[in-house]
Amino acid sequence: MADLTLTNLTPTPKTTIRAAADTAAAAELGLTFGSSERRDGDLVVRIRPDEWLVIGSTATVDALDLSGFASRIDTTHSRLLFRLTGDLAAKVMEKVCSLDFADHMTPNGACAGASVAKTTCDIVRDDVDRVPSYLVLCDTSFRDYLRGAIEDAMTEFVGA
Amino acid sequence: MLLVPCPNCGPRNAADLTYRGESHARPDPNTATREEWRTYLYLRDNPSGWLRESWYCSSGCRTHFQIERHTFTGELREPLLPGSKTGGES
Amino acid sequence: MKNRLPSRAGEQIDRSTILSFTWNGKKLEGFAGDTIASALVANGVTVLSRSMKYHRPRGLLTADYWDPNATVQVGDEPNVRAAHRRLEDGMVVSAQNVSPSLRFDVKAANGLVGRFLTAGFYYKTFMKPAALWPRYEKILATFAPGGKVDLNTPHGYHDKRYAHPDVVVAGAGPAGLAAAIAAAADGASVMLVEHEHEVGGHLLWGTDDDRATAAALRAEAEAAGVEILTNSTVTGRYEDNWVAIAQRSHPMAVERLIKARAKMLIVAAGTIERPYVFAGNDLPGVMTSGAVQRLIRMYGVKPGTRAVVLAANDSGAAAVAALDDAGVDVARVIGSGDRAALVKATGSSTRIRKVHMGDGTTENCDLLVTAVGWTAPTSLLNMAGDRPVYDPSAARFFPGTPPDNVLATGGITGDGTRDQLIEHGRATGRLAAGRAAVVCHRLQASTARAASVDGAEPSYPADERAALPRAPHPEMFRAATHGIVDYSEDVSSKDLFGAAAEGFDSVELIKRFTTATMGPSQGKLETVNTVAVLAEARGETIAEVGTTVWRPPYAPITLGALGGRVFEPVRVSAIQPWHEANGVTPILAGQWIRPEHYGDPAEEVRNTRTNVGITDVTPLGKLDLQGPDVPKLLSLLYTNKWMQLPVGGVRYGIMCAEDGVVLDDGVTGHLGDDHYLMTTTSSGAATVWNWIEMWLQTERPEWQVHVTPITTGLASINIAGPNSRALLGRLTDDIDLGPEAFAYMQVRTGTIAGIDDCITWRIGFTGELSYEIHVPSQHGLHVWNQLLEHGVDLGVQPFGLEAQRIMRLEKGHFIVGQDTDGLSKAPTTGMIPLLKLDKDDWAGKPEVAWVLDDDYPVVVAVQPTDPTVVPEEACQILRADTIDIVGRITSSRFSPTLGRSICLAQVSQEFSEPGTELTVLLVNGTRTTARVMEHHAHFDPEGTRLRG
Repeated sequence: MADLTLTNLTPTPKTTIRAAADTAAAAELGLTFGSSERRDGDLVVRIRPDEWLVIGSTATVDALDLSGFASRIDTTHSRLLFRLTGDLAAKVMEKVCSLDFADHMTPNGACAGASVAKTTCDIVRDDVDRVPSYLVLCDTSFRDYLRGAIEDAMTEFVGA
Repeated sequence: MLLVPCPNCGPRNAADLTYRGESHARPDPNTATREEWRTYLYLRDNPSGWLRESWYCSSGCRTHFQIERHTFTGELREPLLPGSKTGGES
Repeated sequence: MKNRLPSRAGEQIDRSTILSFTWNGKKLEGFAGDTIASALVANGVTVLSRSMKYHRPRGLLTADYWDPNATVQVGDEPNVRAAHRRLEDGMVVSAQNVSPSLRFDVKAANGLVGRFLTAGFYYKTFMKPAALWPRYEKILATFAPGGKVDLNTPHGYHDKRYAHPDVVVAGAGPAGLAAAIAAAADGASVMLVEHEHEVGGHLLWGTDDDRATAAALRAEAEAAGVEILTNSTVTGRYEDNWVAIAQRSHPMAVERLIKARAKMLIVAAGTIERPYVFAGNDLPGVMTSGAVQRLIRMYGVKPGTRAVVLAANDSGAAAVAALDDAGVDVARVIGSGDRAALVKATGSSTRIRKVHMGDGTTENCDLLVTAVGWTAPTSLLNMAGDRPVYDPSAARFFPGTPPDNVLATGGITGDGTRDQLIEHGRATGRLAAGRAAVVCHRLQASTARAASVDGAEPSYPADERAALPRAPHPEMFRAATHGIVDYSEDVSSKDLFGAAAEGFDSVELIKRFTTATMGPSQGKLETVNTVAVLAEARGETIAEVGTTVWRPPYAPITLGALGGRVFEPVRVSAIQPWHEANGVTPILAGQWIRPEHYGDPAEEVRNTRTNVGITDVTPLGKLDLQGPDVPKLLSLLYTNKWMQLPVGGVRYGIMCAEDGVVLDDGVTGHLGDDHYLMTTTSSGAATVWNWIEMWLQTERPEWQVHVTPITTGLASINIAGPNSRALLGRLTDDIDLGPEAFAYMQVRTGTIAGIDDCITWRIGFTGELSYEIHVPSQHGLHVWNQLLEHGVDLGVQPFGLEAQRIMRLEKGHFIVGQDTDGLSKAPTTGMIPLLKLDKDDWAGKPEVAWVLDDDYPVVVAVQPTDPTVVPEEACQILRADTIDIVGRITSSRFSPTLGRSICLAQVSQEFSEPGTELTVLLVNGTRTTARVMEHHAHFDPEGTRLRG
């Protein structure tokens, strides 16, 4: 049984791309809304209908054609990134978030915006070696508060 | 708690969205009289029946959309995306 | 334990574990598995409480979760349901609402003056003289029911959880268990919720075979993977099957709420036995047939020595069998559905003594058992919009037509053998699983992030279940005498007749006037009798009277469960660790923890104006705007013009809402091609972001603008004071800080303290030469430290929010929301030149244009005549020698720079001319005078320090 862990990965480079549907960037990044994919080590997430978040490095976004109505912003410092991993990770998420985390509703690669402990976050399911894992992105200013809220939710399962 | 059909995300708890109230078309600010403008700002039809209303998926995809909801039965009709504005006629 | 029976198969108690407890100070013993009430009765206690209004002595009535007479105080916990709560070793149990003791209660004198305390007495008595009301209140308060709250009780840990079960089953009797098993067998995820401590429902006090069946069903449910929650209640059903479950079985929390979005809800709540209404029906020793069976079979307790049984149905016969089994002398069985058969009961203050029959005979006894009928607890169905339907042949209400996603099963829908109930449950479980599968498919297909669905949506199963039969039952609600209808609220049938005679004719009105059905069982024991009595009083049928509307909660719930884990988000900047380590006094501003000061705000002001100060302004709202149409957006949202702002330029703007009221203000800078950075007030950051998105999506979808909040992506530090240029100059090589190269109201990007991509503005909220730097936030602390390190000889010191507020007030800079309010239209700020009426459509323009022709209040700078007087903010400004309010002080401080008090105020235009003397009403009631100043700025009005 893989134990629960919560790690802060905020320094990981993150870039936000906004691109209208008819741009080269949108075609290149692709994906359906609410899904993500690993490409050469970067995690590309289509987080809104016209917005992508690329986590890992700037390699993918550096290579993008940003012509047309498309823009790029470095969100490394504005988005907090936590990773919650473990066999009971979904149960922990159910303590702080009202989304349905069942496999068919939030499969590996799925993403959604939702309220987590009353803060607005983006959640990406990104399993690690087949162990359920969730990336939680939020405004960096909430780091102490959100860590406390998730750790409190974990106490029920630690030692379980 | 109502399940609201966000056109992008799918059905979401009403608490994940922001309710913006009855939809009304914005009059032309250059030609509107005081009465027309203030009707737009403050007056609502508040029907017992079908109501076109605005929602905003604030915790999810952040899209503004309108749906029609029957205020007595609670039934909902398919969401409209903002392109189809002119929210109901006043 | 004098009333304990010899041990028997199927009892819930464990006689090998003896528990000690006290009852009103007296030491008693019970067994593990006892409820507090069963242990009390086993010890010969007959009076458990005193009724709410009349303080009549009360004993066990139903001996289950709904018993209205068994509410006690346990230690520091009030309102414990003794007939449900399990006994624990060391419990200190006492009666509630008694004075001086349970046995001798002076307030029982109420019983003697009952005619003054009829229903609604508080509307009619204690009215005059009104001056005595505080005294009446004090007296009446002592009559309020409920236990004692110890304010020093430590806070418990409360919790909350979300769930998405396919099926929730409310009630784990035979039908509920069978439904849960069948649904799980068909692949549904199932939560089975039962408010008692064990599953099995009425099988638990039935025959050996009943109990074996209960055990087998339990095992089958566990094997099928059903999540079983005992000592838990489905407490509410809301729109779209949003179901609230109060779970009391969790080891970590006293009670926690599970908020479940159930695809299907099955209501298997069984039936609840109704008490009978007759004179003396609340004497200790009057019980329902179920109570007697539970006491004997589950707890091994003898409920009395000599009994009379009124049996209008089979449960009466079962009670007789149980009494025989327990060695109780059954003196008389009235096997009749005739309401004339039993007239009344009489007794002492501790017990029933005699039953009076309709034929004129009497019977001595210490136990009167009634079996007069059943009530369907339809509340959850009603919360789903169903209205129950009365069937006179069965003498009870039945479910009507609940919505498709709510199914009723078992005793609540009809009668039958145990096997018939189980079969009905199984059919319901299968139906629920089938419907849940359709909902599951639909949810998955319509949710963007979900896995794609296989195949077409299955067809929605129709409800083809065979209904359970309905056993005929005589209508036995009230004998020919008057008795208690609502035991918790102390409402008698006489009260109901009286209220009806006073004109309270609708059942909703009579409920509210008499408070009948408003007690802890929320009508489950009382509603039908109330309706029946009202029907009698009005000469109507029960169906004509109808029922009241049921609302959540289904059963009493602790406030702690509703509160759950308290989520109060707080935000901190990247520089917070430095503040904490350096003696900061923090202040909570919105969700942000900010430095208010570091010891002496006045000194911080002096140092900043003399040397240089730095302050952490990270919470300032920052929005990144990109796209060719950004200037159009700025022109739409701000009152002034933005189409010609050159790259590197910064402009201040005011934003209005569509009613012309000031929404926010801030500076926006042109960083590069199609790239702007907008700042907002800290509290306005989220509002303005939402505002912008609303405009772009709903009114101007053709504009190409991308807006991204980066408030916390950038740590923001304001460097202010005569030495600010010198200090910043030591940390940057690629930004030319020369006064001509980098003029006031300009923005540059460059490297600061080795960190690339920093943005620097030259603006000046404090009125000093100042630079506001925005640094990628993970480097914020580094840059802060570098500034302090490199500025020692320049006199650098940090300053907090309070010093900043003093300095901005010295400069007369208004703050939106402080010096303006929810009614302040833009002209009130005095920034008339910024209101460009010749511009095309902008938010707020029509109302701003119209108000310019009206009399609107104006923000002015004000100085009190006495320089030592600092009026409190919000002090009223009056027309001299009157009480007419003509304005108020909006900001007020003592200025260390000027050595006197300074203010901003809103006044009506009549009083806004410079030199006008104002009368200010201080909070202590005295009046003082103040003068309107020529400029908003009290200090350096030409702004020479700023523009140097």
